[in-house]
Amino acid sequence: MTSNQLENFRIPIGPQHPALKEPGHFEFAVDGETVTDASVRLGYVHRGIEKGTEGRNYVQSMYLLERVCGICSHVHATAFALGVERLAKVEAPPRAQAIRVLVGELERIHSHMLWLGVAAHEAGFDLLFMYSWRDRETVMNLLENITGNRVNYSANLLGGVKCDITDQHEQEIRTGIDFLEERTAYYLDVVSNDAMFLRRTRGIGVMSPEAAEQLGVVGPTARASGVARDVRVDAPYAAYVDHPVNIVTETAGDLEARFKVRIKELFESYRLIRAILDNMPEGDLTTRMPRRVKPGETISRVEAPRGELFYYIKSNGTDTADRVKVRTPTLPNMGSVLALAVGHQFADMPMLLAGIDPCFSCNDRMVSINAPGGDTQQWTWEQLRQYGIEYYR
Amino acid sequence: MNTFEALIALLIFPGGIFILFMGMAYEWADRKLVARFQNRVGPRWFQPLADNIKLLAKEEVVPAGVNAVLFTVLPVIALAGAMTAVLYVPMMGLEPAHSFSGDLIVTIYMLSLLTLCMGLAGANTLDRFSLMGATRTLTQLFSYEAPFLLALLGPALVAETWEIKAISHYAANHTWLLLTQPIGFLVALIGLMGKLELPPFDAPEAETEIVAGAMTEYSGRGLALFHLGKGVELVVGLTLVAGFYLGGIANPLLFFGKTLLLLVGLAGVQALLTRLRIDQTVGLWWRYGALLVLVQFLVLILWQGVM
Amino acid sequence: MKLSTMWKEALGSLVQRPATEKYPFVRQEAPEHLRSKLHWDLEGCTGCSLCAKDCPANAIEIITIDKKAKRFVFHYYVDRCTFCGQCVASCNKDCIELVNNEWELAALDKDNFELYYGNDADVDSVLAEPAEADVEEPITA
Ligand code: SF4
Ligand code: SF4
Repeated sequence: MTSNQLENFRIPIGPQHPALKEPGHFEFAVDGETVTDASVRLGYVHRGIEKGTEGRNYVQSMYLLERVCGICSHVHATAFALGVERLAKVEAPPRAQAIRVLVGELERIHSHMLWLGVAAHEAGFDLLFMYSWRDRETVMNLLENITGNRVNYSANLLGGVKCDITDQHEQEIRTGIDFLEERTAYYLDVVSNDAMFLRRTRGIGVMSPEAAEQLGVVGPTARASGVARDVRVDAPYAAYVDHPVNIVTETAGDLEARFKVRIKELFESYRLIRAILDNMPEGDLTTRMPRRVKPGETISRVEAPRGELFYYIKSNGTDTADRVKVRTPTLPNMGSVLALAVGHQFADMPMLLAGIDPCFSCNDRMVSINAPGGDTQQWTWEQLRQYGIEYYR
Repeated sequence: MNTFEALIALLIFPGGIFILFMGMAYEWADRKLVARFQNRVGPRWFQPLADNIKLLAKEEVVPAGVNAVLFTVLPVIALAGAMTAVLYVPMMGLEPAHSFSGDLIVTIYMLSLLTLCMGLAGANTLDRFSLMGATRTLTQLFSYEAPFLLALLGPALVAETWEIKAISHYAANHTWLLLTQPIGFLVALIGLMGKLELPPFDAPEAETEIVAGAMTEYSGRGLALFHLGKGVELVVGLTLVAGFYLGGIANPLLFFGKTLLLLVGLAGVQALLTRLRIDQTVGLWWRYGALLVLVQFLVLILWQGVM
Repeated sequence: MKLSTMWKEALGSLVQRPATEKYPFVRQEAPEHLRSKLHWDLEGCTGCSLCAKDCPANAIEIITIDKKAKRFVFHYYVDRCTFCGQCVASCNKDCIELVNNEWELAALDKDNFELYYGNDADVDSVLAEPAEADVEEPITA
């Protein structure tokens, strides 16, 4: 084969591929086993959620937005609720804020443990996968009993929360996280000491702090490269104001560091949960929330398990939002995969992908068309409709 | 041996039906053990049988751009090779159905036939995962072949014969070779895992990277035959290692005891270790496996010379 | 660095009971606060339809038979409901309850997914009429 043909030996990962549980399309050009080029195409699960909010009232939109992501659903609802509450100039009572953060941290535990299992599976270490998911059941059960659902908990209401933390809950949570803390320490030992596993993580996908800054990565991916970036610290919201978070960073910037950062963050979550339980404010769970929200616009930022989650909400005086814009953490992180891929072994690609904890359905929201001429333009709703009609004619 | 006996040996025992079911039984035991290591329930006893019946009943899709004859014939050759190897090993602790001096080499090559066929089958298709898988399969074949061969020749050397029957007789009447040739034992066991592409040496069919590797385009009958072939090879491989290194297998009880013991070890390794990248597998083999077994081999030869 | 860090766990699992549950032969008790099937009580309902308005899944339809006499029929689509509990929070007359033990809702027949709560007579009269299409169908295609 000529070198040109070699260049063209491109291996697709996705949109249907065992490594990805969601559709995303990656193409890696390989020379033997070494990756020489990488490209990504997203947008397979564009669901029109932002548009969907324009036809629903605020209450309904919250549940719709909660479904942007199946894993970090609570933070989406929280971000939206905090934003709408700010627009409506109401403030949820302190107890509600504390419960929001409590559920949010439990969700972070569930998300990170899920990720640990998935990443281990990508590396072909199914033992860790099975055990971490088994232990994750603990936190799933806790969430189920506190909020009523195992996923998409719907704990939030506009102006408060639905679920209370009773003494019995408190007891359950404490036993649950005691158990999980012990297990987490064990998994930390596994990911930092298992020689065979370290062969697949140590020194793979190293991202320097400068590169991390340049790529604009967020969340644990950034923190693993030593960039201390966490919305809970930089702009505390809800009960994080009273319960400051200690930021966890690693300096190595490789896959091993990403494992360690996420696992160490779990300890921080356990500490936070205990602190909140110790100082649970008394009082109401909800406050009165007007159905119509005065015109205005706001942004709302929260720290999802995968990084910074950004909401922009514009109201127009009705009970329906004028515009909601969401930016999920996977989008800024996606660039890092492409930047890091070149020069690595093809076998490392699934690991590298999993390393940013991607969530494709979160990602896919905007339609931008690359015309053959090369200029990127945005289409209006009308044009899009027209295009659709003509396409199917 | 008359024609009738030969037919029985080919079709019923130890070849044919018997070994197919043995293969499935061992595959089940392996899957169950791995599941139990992972704290799961694992498949029920008829799962491999059900899988194979289902696959055999399915339509076989011959993808565009392949040599259709090769595509159909390769799985058959692979299974045939593995089942031929059965005739030369002391299955169930009984005397092998056939034997001649030098059948060890034939058996080892029959076993390699399966892997070779899988590699060719992958290279035959246009699928990019298959091509990648085929490259890895063949790379792995070349890397473990020599050490595995040397590891099995160790016992042959001390027994001073290349006939499987005689070697296992020798092994039964002397100290377990596991104790005198521990390196050979380890290399043989790991080589077997490499041959069968079991984790952690499953880079050629790493699900999260290249889907099913060389097997990606196979559905239905071809896949079933390859699967059955692997089951057969598992049994044959375990029999060889148990017969050579674990003090021979003189009766069915010893046979089951020793091979299942080996299987538990195999399943443990599968569960405990992370998949190696193909470069790591090859590196590991040539740097440590081949070197160590070569050293042991030289020591053996010198020892024989001194004696 | 160790060759394998998890071997103790793995060996322990060989003698331990598997963590997998053999559902449906073994059933766990539903947690106390689980939200499952919705139950509606005519008592106190004012027909304000707030529950229907706020339901994110359009799973509720309030059919008014006679507003003065407080005769309403509560049409509930089990298959659309996401068990979010918003209706419970929206109703200020406490008519709606999501019980915790009716969570095995799979059925072979679509009819099982439409429930009518209310007076028997009213429900019958609603069922007798041809179905109105005033509930927005969720977009499917
Ligand atoms: S629980 Fe939620 S989805 Fe179900 S009927 Fe009530 S509001 Fe609608
Ligand atoms: S919100 Fe309550 S009172 Fe109003 S219609 Fe629904 S059930 Fe009746």
